[in-house]
Amino acid sequence: MDFEDEIFSDGLPKVYYKHDDQGRYVLETDAPWAEKVTCALIIAGNRANLEEIRKAVLAGQKSPLCYYMELRQMDPVMLAKAAGIATFRVKRHLRPEIFAKLKPSVLDRYSKALRIPLEELKTVPNR
Amino acid sequence: MTTELAANGKPFVHNHGAHCETAVTSALFRYQGLDISEPMIFGIGSGIFFGYLPSVKLVHLQVTAFRNRPGTVFRKAAQRLGANLVIKTYRDPQKGMNELRQVLKAGHIVGLATNLYWLPYVSERHRHNFGGHNIIALREIEGGFRISDPTFGDPVDCSAEGLERARFVPGPMNPRGFMYYTKSINPHPDLRRACIKGMKNSCGLMLRIPLPIFGVRGMRFLAKRIVKSEVKLGFQEACRHLAGTVRWVEETGTGGAGFRYMYAAFIQEASELFGSEDLVRLSRDMTAIGDTWREFSVMSARIIKKRNRPEATFANAGGLILKCADLEEAFFRDLQKVVKKLKA
Repeated sequence: MDFEDEIFSDGLPKVYYKHDDQGRYVLETDAPWAEKVTCALIIAGNRANLEEIRKAVLAGQKSPLCYYMELRQMDPVMLAKAAGIATFRVKRHLRPEIFAKLKPSVLDRYSKALRIPLEELKTVPNR
Repeated sequence: MTTELAANGKPFVHNHGAHCETAVTSALFRYQGLDISEPMIFGIGSGIFFGYLPSVKLVHLQVTAFRNRPGTVFRKAAQRLGANLVIKTYRDPQKGMNELRQVLKAGHIVGLATNLYWLPYVSERHRHNFGGHNIIALREIEGGFRISDPTFGDPVDCSAEGLERARFVPGPMNPRGFMYYTKSINPHPDLRRACIKGMKNSCGLMLRIPLPIFGVRGMRFLAKRIVKSEVKLGFQEACRHLAGTVRWVEETGTGGAGFRYMYAAFIQEASELFGSEDLVRLSRDMTAIGDTWREFSVMSARIIKKRNRPEATFANAGGLILKCADLEEAFFRDLQKVVKKLKA
């Protein structure tokens, strides 16, 4: 329960339509309970997924590109369009041994598409 | 409700709205002197819809749309209300930003389509990689822009760099700097005719699209998928998909229950406009449909929370959507008959 409230106390409130006793519609800012639960589940899932990928990168199973792609909520197809690189190449670059050999010009394109500085793109945060 | 000044010193009233596109459209019209509410725009622009798109994924979850494609509500409403608009997209971000500055200097307020992920003032729970979020730019300030985002309570400041990124983010849902403002509007539009047009169009969209993923058929398709999902995907994954659906119902600026409450509010306003008893009854029906959708989301939340209630199962959640589909089919068939009797 705490996690849900924590997420919902952060940021600006939204409004919802609600019918009062006479059946007239009014606006209120309380989020429905179901929304809190599902939002918390999705955000917790995304965070856990990101953490798992970070560990895999540190273990040398995935490339840092995979981590930053997930951080920006993209998939290979979206990233390929954003960076202007073919999808099959982006998928190849998710493998660490191939990512390590990339030219600076290719890395530069990724760093622009993901808004991550070039230096950071080669490593993941080591928390 | 807060009042802000636009670039030419004309006051702009910031109203909190439930959905970005309808709220922006109504704010643009209100600024020009046509007082029209958010649900009214939603109804006239035929916003209500249902579509389940299994092949389109956002952050690994399928899209379940409860309203029409981004951009159509605004276009249809403008056309039916006789507004003269300027709509533009750009290839070159620099050009797009320069023109925005010029138009703001000329004293217009400008609607912009942006990517929700890249807007700097958005908090984590609202961050999806979704390129159809609408905001209003009021005026230029030092180092950025004054933004009225109607889904949030107050006007906010946004850096120029962040706004440029949000307007021109590359990728499949690139808004391409989509920008629109009103040149002139009809101050006394024929609201009755516009409402009738909107309602007729909505009936067609919900009942007559011959594809299994749209309208009432789409709901039944989704219901079947949800019932099967536990066996097919396993409990954990099925829960995530269910949560994704519920987020489309309650979150993403729907005003609750997947726009159904907003549509009921529209029918209510229309019933006052026409003085029609039938529409009062239909508004109550729509409220009941909204309540069923809300029931579905509460049931889903119980499944996710593992509240150990015997009735909280995937089969029952799917059953509730089937019930919604039946209710909505009856509703729109009824609406079709009622609209024929209304006089413009």
